[in-house]
Amino acid sequence: MAKLLEHQAKRLLRDLGIATPKGKVAASAAEAVTIANDIGYPVALKAQIAMGKRGKAGAIQFAASADEARTQAGALLGRNVHGRTVNELLVEQRLTIEREHYLAVLSNPVSKTPTVIFARHGGVEVEDVKHGDGIATYDVDLTIGFKLHHALELVGKAGITGASVPALARLACQLFEAYRRYDCMLAEINPVAITARGPVAADARLEIDDDALSRHPELGLEEGHEVGDRARTPLEKIAALIDAHDHRGSAHFVQIDPDGALAKAQGKISIGFDGVGTGVSLAALDELVAVGFQPKNFCDSSGNPTASKMYRITRVILAQPDIEGYVFVTPLSSQQLDNTARGIVKAFKEIYPDGQPNIPCVLCFRGAWDETALAMFEEHGIAKSPLVRLLGRDTTERDVAVAFRDLYQQWRKQPRAIAS
Amino acid sequence: MTRGTFSFDVFSGGSVSFDLDTCSTCETKACVKACNAPNLACVLELKDNVPALRVTKEQAARGGCIECLACELACDTDGIGGITFSLPMIELDAHLRDMEAAGQVPGFKRR
Repeated sequence: MAKLLEHQAKRLLRDLGIATPKGKVAASAAEAVTIANDIGYPVALKAQIAMGKRGKAGAIQFAASADEARTQAGALLGRNVHGRTVNELLVEQRLTIEREHYLAVLSNPVSKTPTVIFARHGGVEVEDVKHGDGIATYDVDLTIGFKLHHALELVGKAGITGASVPALARLACQLFEAYRRYDCMLAEINPVAITARGPVAADARLEIDDDALSRHPELGLEEGHEVGDRARTPLEKIAALIDAHDHRGSAHFVQIDPDGALAKAQGKISIGFDGVGTGVSLAALDELVAVGFQPKNFCDSSGNPTASKMYRITRVILAQPDIEGYVFVTPLSSQQLDNTARGIVKAFKEIYPDGQPNIPCVLCFRGAWDETALAMFEEHGIAKSPLVRLLGRDTTERDVAVAFRDLYQQWRKQPRAIAS
Repeated sequence: MTRGTFSFDVFSGGSVSFDLDTCSTCETKACVKACNAPNLACVLELKDNVPALRVTKEQAARGGCIECLACELACDTDGIGGITFSLPMIELDAHLRDMEAAGQVPGFKRR
């Protein structure tokens, strides 16, 4: 998921009418002081990194004067917090808070709906609140939406009474609108600060679905975070464009060992990998690792991708330097595997002379049109290569790994000390 | 008289082009047969003895052509090479040039 920084999330929430503390971003201590002077003291100085638990890590400080602001900002900028360098601070007015609540909308994998959560107690220790202790949830039926009466019921269930109920319910509806508008996986306000002027989003977090990033050029996010906390590699960025330009099927490509360091440290051989579906991919990866190979990448090309998508992702996978093999594997798939195969065949024919690869390649097709798929490698002369092994429906992931190991050893003509 | 080229765009970015002079001399018309397989898109037909679209170019570009590549691959094996299915990857090509300039060898070029 692409995680927005706090100040980016707050800007989007403000556009939807949600109140946030007055504040601006500073990249230097002097800038922080100028902003703080403008806002008025006391102020909060908040490290802008896409991580939670900043308060506990000391990445949020307070200042009651210009001197304090300068000192605190100087200490925070450049500091490493949770492995990330702080380059920017959000300088905000420090709120006078009567009480704190928790509000979130998340994509719930259990209910398979957006779920709105409201907790009576918010703030830094919200994870420790026992289930049922002032926590209310509402699974949203998207054909109906999340209406004000749903929100009123939710807030009431959490034990909130009194004058703040309508404002909190409106806030929940506004946050749900943010979740929908920006294709979030998570939209969170923690804490919802109850102040004299009503509820304020004291902190905010928006995490965007990676697959929806291409729908939101206005956010300026070219990268998703399937890759974790590091920046995307050039090949990952190129692969992401394939899905961005074509919604038919997926080609999720992540380099799990981009520089080969993992393979080197473990004495394994780097290979390129593609699988149809995450489950079979993980099973095959496990088997390959067990027999001495470290896939340089993970790729899930499922959902019945077009042959053109398969062509493009195969070119990306085989462009990775230092790979000494390529494995493609499907589960017993309902995907139309003849289309899948055509993309790989075209890629092989374009990048290899006569379609004959330079490294060992094992291609395992199991499922719909698998025989047609396998026949294509014969028809186009690819299967006659001694470096190509085709496997069909009667094989397991273990068979794929062993077949690849055997092929690799033949290629190298020097059997390695590899686990059996 | 030359018949020129017929081409149409595809949804993912790219195009299919037919050299109609070559195609007119093709005896198999394998591309049309391949496209009309029961599990494929069936957007090609024969008109005046050369391949043509049975849908509009706009429909093909909106996804009517499912980019199965069957036409091009059938032409490779059973036809006479009149089709070019172009699927550009400008960013990858640029990256490969950068890699090679930096002394890195793409996996498919290693010796």
